[in-house]
Amino acid sequence: MRYVWTCVYVALATAAAWSARPLLALPDLVALYLLVIMAVAVRYGRGPSVVASALSVVAYDVFFIAPHYTFEVHDQRHLLTFAIMFAVGLVISHLALRVRRQEQEAEAATLRVRTEEIRSSLLSAVSHDLRTPLAAITGAGTALRDEEGDLSGSQRRELLDTLCEEAERLERLVANLLDMTRLEAGALEVKREWVPLEELVGSALSRIEGRIDGRPITTEIPSDLPLASVDPVLLEHALVNLLENALKYTPPGSPIEIAARRAGGNIELELSDRGPGLPDPAEQLFEKFVRQAPAGTGGVGLGLPIARGIARAHGGDVVADNRPGGGARFILNLPLGAGPPATIAPELETPP
Amino acid sequence: MSDGGPLVLIVEDELPMRRFLRASLGSHGFRLVEAGSAREATAAATSHNPELILLDLGLPDGDGVELTRRLREWSRVPIIVLSARGHESDKVQALDAGADDYLTKPFGVNELLARMRVALRHAAEVGQPAEATIEIGALHIDLARRLVTRGGAEVRLTPIEFRLLALLAKNAGRMLTHRQILQEVWGPGRGDETHYVRVYMASLRRKIEDDPARPRILVTEPGVGYRLRDG
Repeated sequence: MRYVWTCVYVALATAAAWSARPLLALPDLVALYLLVIMAVAVRYGRGPSVVASALSVVAYDVFFIAPHYTFEVHDQRHLLTFAIMFAVGLVISHLALRVRRQEQEAEAATLRVRTEEIRSSLLSAVSHDLRTPLAAITGAGTALRDEEGDLSGSQRRELLDTLCEEAERLERLVANLLDMTRLEAGALEVKREWVPLEELVGSALSRIEGRIDGRPITTEIPSDLPLASVDPVLLEHALVNLLENALKYTPPGSPIEIAARRAGGNIELELSDRGPGLPDPAEQLFEKFVRQAPAGTGGVGLGLPIARGIARAHGGDVVADNRPGGGARFILNLPLGAGPPATIAPELETPP
Repeated sequence: MSDGGPLVLIVEDELPMRRFLRASLGSHGFRLVEAGSAREATAAATSHNPELILLDLGLPDGDGVELTRRLREWSRVPIIVLSARGHESDKVQALDAGADDYLTKPFGVNELLARMRVALRHAAEVGQPAEATIEIGALHIDLARRLVTRGGAEVRLTPIEFRLLALLAKNAGRMLTHRQILQEVWGPGRGDETHYVRVYMASLRRKIEDDPARPRILVTEPGVGYRLRDG
């Protein structure tokens, strides 16, 4: 295929040179052919560029050197031109190739450096966040084992709470890391089923039940909202991540509102809080390992990227903006799809 | 170890998990038998005749789901499956193969004991005449008269909603998969139409829950099924 294109290039150059014949002198034509040889070398590599050089010499001879349309050459000077043209063609193609290779190497090197940077930032973030709860667990565990006699009842209780809470934190962290890895590897399998969003909101809320800390949570989900075609496990996870984010960045007692609606061809689920609002630009929140909270307050900055990754795997998205009157608003939207196979609506069922 | 407590077979290959189960169940008066593989489990189930089995799905020598299926060929012993997060399809398969319930690792000891109590209670009820009425909080279900009241006021349910609620109430505290519910309520041959269950569940919640988006009675386990919260 590369050789076919090479021929096309040389033929085009010949056609161009032919039509511009009255305007151009012979040396201009040679320059035109050299240009084409260079282009071929850059695009298609060594073999095609050698062929392009040879073809150019032949085309130049046949079409532009008297007698026309033959390989014969009456003026011996032209033979020297052919030789120089061929040689320059080879040199150009060689140089062009070298430039190309250097460019590729530079690109690969940049990529390596960036991958390395990402990996080390990931490692340092992860190892720090894994170690913190581990240190607390080890500390509390050894204190309970080794200092048993010296601990008061309330101290014991505190250490035991630490053990349980930090282990839970570790579990959430590992779960998020696993999901991020799956999302990035494209290994996430979306098992779609027709699900009422209300059900997913309900199970996500019960999942965070113990950490609500008196925040009033209101839900507004119309009962005639169409079913969504989603993977219930994944989508619940996305909702839990959005809720956990709200819990992390709002003070206890501050309200969280959840509302769902149909918006054109989408279902929109809106989660708003009255916390400090979003940084500018809000997009950075969806980058991995970016977090606003001081270290030690919980996550590693994976919750929102995972929520967005899950939404995108469903053909939707998660976007964020600031609310009028203060606070953050996250909108998860999902395409409606074709609608589920017919069900008898409970209200239409014959009464007993 | 006290004698007289229910005999529990623990099928788990991870030693730390076994240690945790041994300590926490032993202190609650359960008698324990342990097995580290599917083969040992089959042998122990036959020779000891346990009253409850705790089964880890990730065994080194075989499939916990397959083991459940084989045990169910000859035994009604309650089986509670233990499995890691993210393996919802394994849980569903184990439940459909005849397991009674499941717990996602990591779990707390209170959760474990609650599930074990429910499973033992249901096993004891087999063969007994079914209760004619069931109370869950303010909800009162009269199975014989097909009457449901909430705080004294009648709740009007469609026949399918009633069958759904009655099924969950008879299995209070237990996990039921979408497939099991479809089969029991709609009849066989509807294995995949899980959205039927979901739609009816949503309308049932609107009638018996204070806030259907924050259900207290009918709890969802995403990707697995439903459980009627017990007490």
